[in-house]
Amino acid sequence: MIDHESSAVAGMPPQVREPRIQLLSPPPNSAKGLINQFLEWFGELGIFFWHVVRAAVTPPFEFRELFRQLDEIGSKSLPLVALAGAATGVVLSLEARYSLTRFGAKSLLPAAIVFSVIHETGPIITGLVVSGRVGAGIGAELASMKVTEQIDAIEASAVNPYRLLAATRILACILMLPLLTLAADCCGLIMGWVTQAMVEPVSLHQFINAGFSGADFNDFLPPTFKTAVFGLIIGLIACFQGMRTQGGAAGVGRAATSSVVLSSLFVILADVVLVKLIILFFP
Amino acid sequence: MSRAARLGAFIVVTLAVLVAGIFIIGGKQYLFSSTYQLKAQFDNVVGLDAGGDVRVGGVHSGTVRSIVLPHKPGEKITVIMDLGKSTHEIIKQDSVATIETEGLLGNQYLAISFGSVTSANVRDGDTIASLPPLEMSDLFQKTSDILDSSQQAIQNTTRATANLASISAKIDGGQGTAGALVNDKQLYNNLEQTTSAMHDTMLHAQAGVTDFQENMEAMKHNFFLRGYFKSRGYEDSAELAKNEIERLPQDTPTKQFTYSAKQLFDKQDSAKLKNQKSLNAGGEFLANNQFGFAVIAVSAGMEGDTQKDLVLTEARAMVIREYLVEHFGFDDSELKTLGMGKQTETNSDAGWGAVQIFIYPPGTAIPPGKQTQAGIASKAAPDQPVQASADPKPKSQ
Repeated sequence: MIDHESSAVAGMPPQVREPRIQLLSPPPNSAKGLINQFLEWFGELGIFFWHVVRAAVTPPFEFRELFRQLDEIGSKSLPLVALAGAATGVVLSLEARYSLTRFGAKSLLPAAIVFSVIHETGPIITGLVVSGRVGAGIGAELASMKVTEQIDAIEASAVNPYRLLAATRILACILMLPLLTLAADCCGLIMGWVTQAMVEPVSLHQFINAGFSGADFNDFLPPTFKTAVFGLIIGLIACFQGMRTQGGAAGVGRAATSSVVLSSLFVILADVVLVKLIILFFP
Repeated sequence: MSRAARLGAFIVVTLAVLVAGIFIIGGKQYLFSSTYQLKAQFDNVVGLDAGGDVRVGGVHSGTVRSIVLPHKPGEKITVIMDLGKSTHEIIKQDSVATIETEGLLGNQYLAISFGSVTSANVRDGDTIASLPPLEMSDLFQKTSDILDSSQQAIQNTTRATANLASISAKIDGGQGTAGALVNDKQLYNNLEQTTSAMHDTMLHAQAGVTDFQENMEAMKHNFFLRGYFKSRGYEDSAELAKNEIERLPQDTPTKQFTYSAKQLFDKQDSAKLKNQKSLNAGGEFLANNQFGFAVIAVSAGMEGDTQKDLVLTEARAMVIREYLVEHFGFDDSELKTLGMGKQTETNSDAGWGAVQIFIYPPGTAIPPGKQTQAGIASKAAPDQPVQASADPKPKSQ
């Protein structure tokens, strides 16, 4: 097992590291250079993803580190996600109430809140909040490990850094995002109900009944579990940006910023595709 | 709190949310409760989807499991639904499924009516009857038809109004008879003048008639004419039918007096009484006995003119009545006359005719009064001109 791992460690990093240095050093001064840089970034990301997958599916599994990351990414994000979800619920309730009353469809308010929270608002808010908090955290952590040559040290101690550092974090993101989304949905609905009940008394039971009337599993499960894809994107981009950085403290800062920016961007872009796919496959 | 406990709590709580969500939605779809399946067939499900509500009496009690398209044209679409066990006692074999819309533009749902008490229970997998859904397009089609016909009606009304306007314009313009009537002031004035002239004429005529009547009365008692009236036996031929009835009643009389006209009257063609004393037996009976009413029935012989004989019999009856009323005290409104004209069967004397007094018991219905010219004249007694026209008759004789 050690042989297998050491051969992977010995084989892979030079392939990955070579283009990374080339890519970051020359500033893009022409359209051709820019496009080249863009394509190279994607290529490197693909190679990185491949290494991570390979490391993740082959033993030994780093359960201890995974466990630590689950806690770091999942339970420690819960307060933030719950707060964001609750705030979204309040805002939705207020806004939907205003516009639905204008159209004389106030009775649809619970359904409007429930559907918009579980369909889209909960998942995307969770994705963005987590990409902000976790993406920055992972990016900064791995970047600082990289610039202080800790990753090299891990590698030197015959431990695959993809397996230990990247795979655990990405897997934790994939697993935790749907759960965080559920928490955000729950808080959003409860706060939506509270907000509505303050204006016009309605029981939670009635609110849930009216809100979920006509809902089926296609309204609930696919939007919730699509956030696993968000988790993959957040973890992958944050780890990638962290592990390819260079250049001391400035590099750490760059990595943290770029991982947040890129992961948020890709979460939103992925959402466009995912919504379309969900409508297509779960009508 | 340890890291493990924190993570465990997080996972448990969020998974609880997941399970709650699944159960809320699954409960709506009757996935986790005991259900039975029913089918209904439709030509058109107007957008009902699998997963749609099934309502029994308006209560959400099931869900549409699937909608199966037919295999070939002419067959119907089958809607398969799951219903909660609680509805099993309500839905019977004669329940009817309909597809209805929530509000005007809401979701479609399947409504099932209650079955009748006597009907059999449904079994799992049964197909129940259905009614075709009310489609908005049908409704719009009907509305459109109604609008079309009402438009036609409005057009008719418009045309009628235009005609009316044209007619009233013509009338207003003085065209045609109606126009002349409405517009010609002169016509109205003429009419008014005519009416007032007529009114004056009538007043004069009335005065003239009164004068004439007085003159006639005077003439009857005049030396030259007195003899005529005396031999005739009566003066006023207008009163001949005053107390006359149309016919004899059906009932049998309690008492009957019969006289020969020859005994009582002066001449064959006269109503002048001769042996009035012989009527006393009848008069006394009337005066001393209770009776319903009595009829003096007079008939004439076969000789002479029929019309004259009718007048003569009426006159004789009237004269006898006058005599009885004058000489015997009883309620004279109960004594009626009946001039029968020529009669053969009751005649005792072929040339003269007979006189009979029939007395009927109380309670007998009095036959209606005779509607002869003289009778009408007597009823219209205050109307002087008519009496004037009846009066000249004896004068001409």
